[in-house]
Amino acid sequence: MEYISTDTMSLMDKLGILTDSAKYDVACTSSGVERHNDGKGIGNTLKGGICHSFSSDGRCISLLKILFTNECIYDCRYCINRRSNDVPRATFTPEEVCELTIGLYRRNYIEGLFLSSGIVYSPTYTMELIYRAVFLLRTKYRFQGYVHVKAIPGADPDIIGKLGFLADRMSINLEFPTAEGLKKLAPNKHRKNILTPMRMIQNGIRQNKDELVVYRNAPHFVAGGQSTQMMIGATPESDYQIIQVAESLYRKFELKRVFYSAFVNVNEDRELPALPGGPPLLREHRLYQADFLMRFYGFEAGELLDEKRPNFNVFLDPKADWAVRHLELFPVEINRADYQLLLRIPGIGVKSAQRIVKARRTAFLSFEDLKKIGVVLKRALYFITCGGKMMYRTKIEEDYIVRNLTAVKEKLPFDADGMTYRQMSLFDDSRFDEALIIKETG
Amino acid sequence: MKIKGREDAFQDYTEQVLLCEDSQEGIFTGIYEAYEKKFHSGTVRIVVGEEREYRLFAVYHKVEPDTEKALKVARTVSNLTGPEPYRQMCTALSSTDPQKGQAVFGVIELLLKDRRSAQRIMDRLADGYVRKVFELHRNVQNEIHHLKEFLRFQELENKALFARIGPYNDVVMYLMPHFADRFPQENFMIYDEGRNLLGVHPASGEWYLARGVKLDRSMLNDSDEEKKYRELFRFFCHKIAIKERKNLNLQRNMLPLRFREFMVEFGENDKNAV
Repeated sequence: MEYISTDTMSLMDKLGILTDSAKYDVACTSSGVERHNDGKGIGNTLKGGICHSFSSDGRCISLLKILFTNECIYDCRYCINRRSNDVPRATFTPEEVCELTIGLYRRNYIEGLFLSSGIVYSPTYTMELIYRAVFLLRTKYRFQGYVHVKAIPGADPDIIGKLGFLADRMSINLEFPTAEGLKKLAPNKHRKNILTPMRMIQNGIRQNKDELVVYRNAPHFVAGGQSTQMMIGATPESDYQIIQVAESLYRKFELKRVFYSAFVNVNEDRELPALPGGPPLLREHRLYQADFLMRFYGFEAGELLDEKRPNFNVFLDPKADWAVRHLELFPVEINRADYQLLLRIPGIGVKSAQRIVKARRTAFLSFEDLKKIGVVLKRALYFITCGGKMMYRTKIEEDYIVRNLTAVKEKLPFDADGMTYRQMSLFDDSRFDEALIIKETG
Repeated sequence: MKIKGREDAFQDYTEQVLLCEDSQEGIFTGIYEAYEKKFHSGTVRIVVGEEREYRLFAVYHKVEPDTEKALKVARTVSNLTGPEPYRQMCTALSSTDPQKGQAVFGVIELLLKDRRSAQRIMDRLADGYVRKVFELHRNVQNEIHHLKEFLRFQELENKALFARIGPYNDVVMYLMPHFADRFPQENFMIYDEGRNLLGVHPASGEWYLARGVKLDRSMLNDSDEEKKYRELFRFFCHKIAIKERKNLNLQRNMLPLRFREFMVEFGENDKNAV
């Protein structure tokens, strides 16, 4: 094996390697913090965050998402950077990280820095490396833009606490929904080590909020909140288990976001499932839909799924699926129903519901008015009345509505070939096709 | 249409057209004059800039922008509505839509008719004019946000930053405060190609706008480091993509093609790069 010293490596090569190894992390948000520049440095942050570009997979590029180093002492089965993989390794210096961040930020290419790292020597040592880089960026370079750092499970709580005062967001990856999955696929990581710092950051944020009430200028601790992510499809958990875990993370750990990442098989490990249809994108999409329903629409995990139906419907989104199972609540009168009930109508989102509530203060709304104020009726029309009348003569009947809802093509963020829940048939095996092609050409 | 006894009946049947200058001042002056002449939104049209097709039976009035009259309108509206609805009307006036003046006039008319609900005027989406202003405001706001995202600076020889944009709406004045807050110690410029409008921010100073500036690209030379960072970012964008998830449609939905001409990660010709 050839050993490449990182000292001779160009910045471009390092950036390539360390971006390549960081890309599987989902979070790239720069939201949650509104901060003006103090006039002496560079950068500010916006409450809503800013995406600066979109890569060819359609994901947003908001932060300079890099690892500090991709050297790692752990041997997690799913990870491209695991110890036993023979991949090119590189390590940044803190100065390089700062110069890159500032250089790209000045040109409005990025909104800030997302710094994670492989584990070198020990979690605490690694955390200190990250701390040094972020400290330099905040003090010497006076950077006031967004910084998201990974807290490394098992690191000294002191250093995590110190880092919290420099970062806008911290995250610790849960990796898998259950402890069994983690044990099997990440033998060096332990559930307890992940949840302890998560709790610590939660307490830090709470305490900081109290301090800020008393001292307005007290330093902020992880002002943008913390997030986590789970891999979907590498372990056998059901959707119900996953959203239950997410729900308890929101409630008990007060997380800002839980991210779901469709598992991409990079290692061909025997413990990992083969995914001939590619990453389970539809499943990931359904989980995000459910996640939004829990965060903004007042749904509970137990309402969306239960033990008897542990997985999401392939053909209907979770909200429509819930609605057709609760037809006793429909149709809903647009001019009278309260906001919470409006939110439960398929096809009516937060914005539409808000507009309806505002507009009906001064006018009695008809279907025409709804269309004009931008409410899409394609799906909603089966569930609503205006002035006591349905839009068309439709039946409140499960089969009938499901048939009509599925006839309207659902807008998915990926093409039909991104579907992994295709109906299986004898001739549908993707490797079957490949075999044929090889035979023909060979 | 009711004919009110005292007024000239002739006026009510004839379409009156006020030709205003395309600026907030011009349009507000037009609205002032419409009121002075006792026109209402059913019979008057506020036309911004040039009339496209002159009509035989319409009466045309040319409106010269008048700061005092415009200020009176602005004061009346903002006193009645409070800052937020007034701000929305102003952003709507930065739109390219030729009907913007008429829409704002309609909203102000509604506002004066029912003063009690003035602060919630923009909630009355069932009204056509309110909806139009709401849509224009949203459209301009979206473009402002897109440009906060997709605008790219290049570093010039003298270390100043320069950005070239080609927006539909007149948005430079909304972008300047954002970047002035972000880069207080940088000299930077934002140039709207289509309008020959240049926003200038001197380091640690106040920003200003210069109209009628014709910039030639040959006047602008990149600094030595510019190419390096451009290449680094192009490479980063390429590397961050997960090839198993490739989805150009989604990318195009999120990042419309018209912005790519100005973005370094997409070459000048290859709109689908990265």
